[in-house]
Amino acid sequence: MYSEILGNEHEKHEKIIGTLGKRFTTYGYKRIKTSAFEQYDLYSNVRTSINQNEMIKVIDYTGEVLVLRPDVTIPLTQQLVQLNDNLPEEMRYYYVQEVFRQTFQENERIGKTQAGVEFYCKSSPASDAETIMLACHALRDVGFTDVKIEIGYAGFFNELIADSDITAEQTAELKTLIQAKNVVEIGPFLQRLSIDPSIKEVLEQLPLLYGAPEVVFERLQNLQVSESAQDAIKYLQRTCDIVELYGLKKHIVIDLGLINHMGYYSGIIFQGYVENFGKPVLMGGRYDALSEEFGMKLPAIGFACEIESLVKASSTREKKERYSIDVTVIYEESRIKYAIDITNELRERDYRVISKPMKDAEHQTDSLYTIQLTEQQNNLVDQEEMKEFIDFKQLLDLIASKKGVPEWII
Amino acid sequence: MDYLTVAMAKGRTAERAMKFLEKSDVHFSEFTDESRKLVIYDDKQKIKLIFVKAVDVPVYVEKGAADVGIVGKDVMMEDPRDVYELLDLGIGRCKLAVAGYPDTPIENIPFLTVASKYPLVAKEFFDKKGIRTEMIKLNGSIELAPLIGMSDVIVDIVETGTTLKENGLVVLQEMADVSARLIVNKASYATKTEDIQQFIKDMKEGLGVRS
Repeated sequence: MYSEILGNEHEKHEKIIGTLGKRFTTYGYKRIKTSAFEQYDLYSNVRTSINQNEMIKVIDYTGEVLVLRPDVTIPLTQQLVQLNDNLPEEMRYYYVQEVFRQTFQENERIGKTQAGVEFYCKSSPASDAETIMLACHALRDVGFTDVKIEIGYAGFFNELIADSDITAEQTAELKTLIQAKNVVEIGPFLQRLSIDPSIKEVLEQLPLLYGAPEVVFERLQNLQVSESAQDAIKYLQRTCDIVELYGLKKHIVIDLGLINHMGYYSGIIFQGYVENFGKPVLMGGRYDALSEEFGMKLPAIGFACEIESLVKASSTREKKERYSIDVTVIYEESRIKYAIDITNELRERDYRVISKPMKDAEHQTDSLYTIQLTEQQNNLVDQEEMKEFIDFKQLLDLIASKKGVPEWII
Repeated sequence: MDYLTVAMAKGRTAERAMKFLEKSDVHFSEFTDESRKLVIYDDKQKIKLIFVKAVDVPVYVEKGAADVGIVGKDVMMEDPRDVYELLDLGIGRCKLAVAGYPDTPIENIPFLTVASKYPLVAKEFFDKKGIRTEMIKLNGSIELAPLIGMSDVIVDIVETGTTLKENGLVVLQEMADVSARLIVNKASYATKTEDIQQFIKDMKEGLGVRS
């Protein structure tokens, strides 16, 4: 089955890809491509949400079974693990590629264009928050105004039921009830299970742990949870704090009833919604455990969105062409707020910007300018010289004097 | 102005749901019993009611064509959809049950022919008992099937049992309680949180339940 993308639709399709690519680039992501064919075994050995019978299989001349690329994250991670030697601590990649899944509905395309980012980095609230910011930023660029990102924690549910003696079937049913926020039936269902009463109470509350961060975290305080679940909550809270520093407060919703929809997610998970579209347009999360299936620790966070969904959901809004140049912001821990402010402002002006704490910045990032924020002063550094600046206006003037005033500052 | 779109099937459940809302000062004066309108708005122009076939309500809600839906649990059981199920309205109460001639065996037998509007629910029910089944999907007058020998038993919703009785049939086993549920599109819940929570509150007040 295929449906055609005709004329106008196709143009919109390309425009959205362009917009997303540009935005990903401003966060320091490089475009990569993966092979159209992948080993079938790669997918049968890894825990994923991709059903075996959804994959399009092909047999090559040696009789080996291949599949048409069902996703990008898994082969990319595997490839990086195989390169193994001298991987930098941080890698940022984005892709725009077709992925192929057999659909069982008529008129649904088998091939869909996915755009996504993979950020290989140590697990930290700052990197997770930045990734969520990028997701939101990208959706806003496409022209959506009412962007909502729902944030959950993949391990939370599993932590809760870890010590409980319930069958896989019961777990699955419990998951379904929580995913449907079925407050009506979850109580009676839990009655029948042999679970610790304090955990039962949390499970029953899970569907209600939804809403603005401050509301959810306050409700959580009245609930008793294990130490490891407590750690998860702290991590989530710290991430939300930083997301708020990015100025996204009104765009985020916490949903602890959001349960792992991909087999390999482990920490923060999130999905993006936009106005007047009934499905999530973007999904992502942290998948530290995936690389371990290939025998190496390579923690990462990423997200992907389907261009076809964005086309359907998007309004036709024109975006004008802009220039861009590269900046790295390096800050001492105490200056994180200012670093984020500057990064935000520069990205708003479409500079390609990376920010990181000074202790993680032994290796210079390959960028045109570096901004150093220490306790004492702010510096703008390029190949020739180092100049101090007091405020953002002065910084912009400095950059402009070096490059000449670009047309976008008017 | 952005409406909250609510999908439901015309009939008793819809009328009672509208009564609940009236208690919270949400009126649909456009609506009359004889009206054939498929789309009506409340007097404050905040809620848009669309009337669809009951089995289609979950589809409208899952696809986001409606933000909220009111639909029987039986429909949700037969065709589970990726939506939130936030409230039991407690109206349209009935039972899903296996029915047939008195003394028809439905345990420890190898095979049964079953007629039903709910073939998936029925099959799963008998699968769990280890009974193989031939399913006959019917869309109405299910009770006729055993009478003319087309099936051994039926699986259907039973409210008062009058139709069964008049046709010489009895409930052989109850399967589940059914009532009307309020379902919500997941994206709408994220983007229109306040409107939907207000709607649920209005409904609850109509039901006489305080949250």
